[in-house]
Amino acid sequence: MTSRACFKRLALLFCAGFSSSVLAHNPMCECKAIDAEQIQCTGGFSDGSGAPGVTLDVIGYDETILVPGKLGADSTLTFKKPNAEFYVLFDAGPGHVVEIDQADIEAP
Amino acid sequence: MSQSTTHPSTPSRLNLIWRKWRFHLNVLLLLIPLGFMPKYFSEAALFRGDEGLGQRDVGEIQVGPWSLRLAEFRNEAPRQEGPAGPMKHFNAALCQRCIGQVKATYLRIGKPRSLRAAGVIFFGSPYRMGALLPVPSKTQPDAELWITLEGWDGSMHQASIPLSQASPATVAWLNTQGTQR
Repeated sequence: MTSRACFKRLALLFCAGFSSSVLAHNPMCECKAIDAEQIQCTGGFSDGSGAPGVTLDVIGYDETILVPGKLGADSTLTFKKPNAEFYVLFDAGPGHVVEIDQADIEAP
Repeated sequence: MSQSTTHPSTPSRLNLIWRKWRFHLNVLLLLIPLGFMPKYFSEAALFRGDEGLGQRDVGEIQVGPWSLRLAEFRNEAPRQEGPAGPMKHFNAALCQRCIGQVKATYLRIGKPRSLRAAGVIFFGSPYRMGALLPVPSKTQPDAELWITLEGWDGSMHQASIPLSQASPATVAWLNTQGTQR
């Protein structure tokens, strides 16, 4: 068996072994207050991939969108803490959302 | 001129047994997988749907003019899915007459704030759809499971059932998480 064929077999075994973990990629989002005024949210997926360009909206309890945003190239978005009560919605498509209530955001 | 003779050492009884029977170990290697066969066939039946929607049928749930049959895929506590946290797998089947009318089915613990935040979406055939529901360990055991159906006509209908009815194993697991809350 040539080294190339051996490599192919190893790659196939690797893919078969890790296929289930690649299939599951649930959306994830984490928000923390970086100071008294600003909140930074980081989005991504459970397979380790980032989420640049994915929508992240800050929505008031009355369902008005307070800060419409998209994650930057580093999969983060920093916004000024709204005065009204709010929650953060990481929206990677229908059914692929993460909701973070203001009460669940860590203080600096 | 020197002469050397070699006296073959007499093999021990254990050695003889080993030499005589070692090739029969192949048969044992064939027998080992047989031990896993019952588990394999039960898993295959579960995934194929021969045992119904899942290991534990929750029942038919009326959601507005539509209904769906819900089941726990596995009758067990949520499984840790890497960094995404504990997840519970539910399966569902839409009623026969609503298959053509329902566009999407969502599942969430707690009442959704909006259709956009209706929870996880069911994917797959309407006869057997699946969804992986995140179950935060701080979820209250008396929480409710909300089902949201979105129709092709733009209508939205919701229904809820107690989590204890949807998954007693999840509630039992949540009760053990008390120290973490």
